[in-house]
Amino acid sequence: MEQRLIKELTKIVGRDDILYDLKDLIAYSYDATPRQEMPDVIIFPHSTAEVSAIMKLAHQERIPVIARGAGTNLSGGTIPVRGGIILEMSRMNRILEIDTANQRAVVEPGVINLDLQNALAPLGFFYPPDPASQKSSTLGGNVGENAGGPLCLRYGVTSKYVCGMEVVLADGEVVEIGDYVADPPGYDLRGLFIGSEGMLGVATKLILHIIPKPEATRTMLAIFDTLEDGGRAVSEIISRGIVPGALELLDKKMCWVIEQSVSAGYPTDAEGVLLIEVAGLADTLDRQVEEISEICQKNKVRELRIAQTNAERDALWKGRRGAFGAVARICPPYSVCDGTVPRDKLAQALHRVGEIAEKYHVLIANVAHAGDGNLHPLILFDANNPEERAAAKKAGSEVLDTCIAFGGTITGEHGIGLEKMDAMRLMFDPADIAAMRRIKEVFDPDDILNPGKMFPPDESQPQPTQEEVA
Amino acid sequence: MKKTVSQEREAFHQQLGAVVGPENVLTEAQATASYQVDGFTPDGVVFATSTEQVSQVIRLANEFRIPIIPWGSGSKQEVGPCLSQSGTILCLKRMNQLIELDAGNFTAHVAAGMVNAELQKQLGEHRFFFPLDPVCMETSTLGGEIATNATGPLRLKYGAVRDLVLGVTVVTPTGDIIHTGGKTMKNVAGFDLCKMYIGSWGTLGIITEAVIRLFPLPEVSKSLLITASQENAFRLVGQLLESALELSAIELLDWTAGRYLGDHGAHLAEGKVLLLVNIDGDSAAVARREEAIKALAKTNQASEVVTLQGEEAAEVWNAYRRVHQALLDAVPSTAQGKASVPIGKAADMFRAIKEAGQRHHAEIGIRVYCGSGLLYPYVALEDDKLIFVIASLKQAASALGGFFIVEAAPLWARKKEGSLPQRSDATLMKRLKTAFDPNNILNPGRMFGGLY
Repeated sequence: MEQRLIKELTKIVGRDDILYDLKDLIAYSYDATPRQEMPDVIIFPHSTAEVSAIMKLAHQERIPVIARGAGTNLSGGTIPVRGGIILEMSRMNRILEIDTANQRAVVEPGVINLDLQNALAPLGFFYPPDPASQKSSTLGGNVGENAGGPLCLRYGVTSKYVCGMEVVLADGEVVEIGDYVADPPGYDLRGLFIGSEGMLGVATKLILHIIPKPEATRTMLAIFDTLEDGGRAVSEIISRGIVPGALELLDKKMCWVIEQSVSAGYPTDAEGVLLIEVAGLADTLDRQVEEISEICQKNKVRELRIAQTNAERDALWKGRRGAFGAVARICPPYSVCDGTVPRDKLAQALHRVGEIAEKYHVLIANVAHAGDGNLHPLILFDANNPEERAAAKKAGSEVLDTCIAFGGTITGEHGIGLEKMDAMRLMFDPADIAAMRRIKEVFDPDDILNPGKMFPPDESQPQPTQEEVA
Repeated sequence: MKKTVSQEREAFHQQLGAVVGPENVLTEAQATASYQVDGFTPDGVVFATSTEQVSQVIRLANEFRIPIIPWGSGSKQEVGPCLSQSGTILCLKRMNQLIELDAGNFTAHVAAGMVNAELQKQLGEHRFFFPLDPVCMETSTLGGEIATNATGPLRLKYGAVRDLVLGVTVVTPTGDIIHTGGKTMKNVAGFDLCKMYIGSWGTLGIITEAVIRLFPLPEVSKSLLITASQENAFRLVGQLLESALELSAIELLDWTAGRYLGDHGAHLAEGKVLLLVNIDGDSAAVARREEAIKALAKTNQASEVVTLQGEEAAEVWNAYRRVHQALLDAVPSTAQGKASVPIGKAADMFRAIKEAGQRHHAEIGIRVYCGSGLLYPYVALEDDKLIFVIASLKQAASALGGFFIVEAAPLWARKKEGSLPQRSDATLMKRLKTAFDPNNILNPGRMFGGLY
């Protein structure tokens, strides 16, 4: 990047909030996916005015801008494929307002998800979206990816809990989309913006819907000898009208991997375990636990453990929350798939995933938000072995084909980013993609906001063989 | 030789007939008269029976540059900003099938012209329901409800349209068929176009099919009717909303609107309001909720609490939904608006509405969706007085951090006061409309009437 531009940018944010040394550029060249590309400069804005000034300059000079929170995303969404500016939002991290009577929290985008939860907890409130990354991921990043999490089965994903936003557009203009109050007139631009992966604008303020915490929770671990039995139990629980706070499935390989690093007490010889948590009024949960236990018995549960204390509950969750970390410990270059199927197809889809693992000789461990039909097969491979790398890639792509074949989608909560650009074509007709491109052109006609993401390279061409990412 | 306007229209209608069959194109004045909107009589009404037909109709409309006004049951036609041009009505009510009920996935795929009440009936046979219950649900179509972002009491527990609709099939203003969303609970592939279409009032495309979330019918559902003074009622509402009780609906009717609720509201004295609270779930949870609500009602000096269940409860909600039309019909000049304020400020807005009524010697009936901070005043005034009241309500809502808009009202009032609040994102919305509808074919004037 030209010195003149570095100077201009330094003028906007000051010397302490800009980085352009090689070591810093390298640190911002990757996210939680294996690909690496170098940015030209990293800037840490402190205010909407600074973001707006940066965007004006970027617009004038046609420089790519990639807004970034904690960089935990799992689809390559924050990798600067065309270089440019990394707009690191972590220093805009103030909680501006919490109003329980209005059920709103107003925050800057760099606030970490868990920090907001910690501020809300003493008031008896919470913000439902709880991605596994919540200890480090920012709310702005959660909005960019429309993050989910285990609690989303009961409460819904990010899109349901963002009422309005202040957004800096590609040309630096500052607009408010959505509102603090319900149902503002006009198009639901906020709906479009959530999950847009930094391609439509930079959010600088978020108005969030917060809700009262449930009175109590009860947590169980149900151990099954077959995935089908576990899958059927999931369907029956939901059919009864019970909406658990969480309903997570882990397969045998996943349990084994978890037990290697976290001693959560999960069995290593059962085909599947369900982590079930019910939430609601304290004295009504016994009945739900009883019903769930009956359903599990009916579906040949081997063992049902019900946490009796907070310590026991934490132990049950420890395994699930530590799943990705546990995999990373034994095999750092894993790749996470993120397909979603209609929820009653989950067991079938997991079976198919097992067949795919055999076909390509790769190890696949499964964790799933079972109640939502959201699978996260983790494909483990040796990054130094080109054959295995290629096999892992093929296996991942076949997992997505499987999800689509079952009437599902290629991503439930991780986004398209770089990783699934080609797979977009499996999901959408050319007319669908054209409509999305039209949206992009309305918001960002010069294609400077996170360019080179989401859209397949050229819709008119047949799908090319996927290039290697690792 | 250049064709005259009427020759053009005739050619257009003929080609429409080739698409949908001549029997599905009405052009006789007698037939089109009942489709009058905003003072315009349409030059034709065309009935489509498939997404493909809708697409062909829209392509023809672009060729002939004739505006298309999408129509479900017509219940929201005269709401909000007025049409700026007449055109041809495209009616979807013959697209009324439940295409697929996926009981294992808790979803249904429904054609847009299906009437909500009929959908609920068919779902009920499978022990499911769709928790969208707007006041006009007996006649309104699913497509219309999605397009207008209809709202109903159950939103408190089950969410708004945008939380209940997983995907829509749309014919764009240029005739392309696009599929948005899907049938999974979670889906973040590409931009969320489904959300953009919800509440877009037929200006960005015509919704022809939708995939919706279903819920199993609850084991028990009860309704509590609580009579209390205005102050006590709002305090109670605040406590209920901040509790962990997870109520499914909290509606409030003032003493004027309450009178239309039949026996339950007939006794309401001035200053008293009626709360309708719905609770559902398993019997244990419902019992516990009922007990807690009654205890809170008592501490807030409620004068009466009646619990209804089964048929009786269903009937009171039916009656509640009829209040809207009854208030509109009571005095022909009645205008109905919507105030949206922060949830905790609903009591302040309520007071502001009542004060405006007193200043202008008008009786204003009010319905409140307490869980969303939405208040619906019904003002029976004519001429300047109505305009004054509207102006003071706009000011009051804005001072509380919200907005007020006119919805159902006589044509003159909507023309004068139908403009929408100024928004900083209006230019972006206009650009979106132009990008999708370069020929301004779909619902010209609607929604954007006030945006630029």
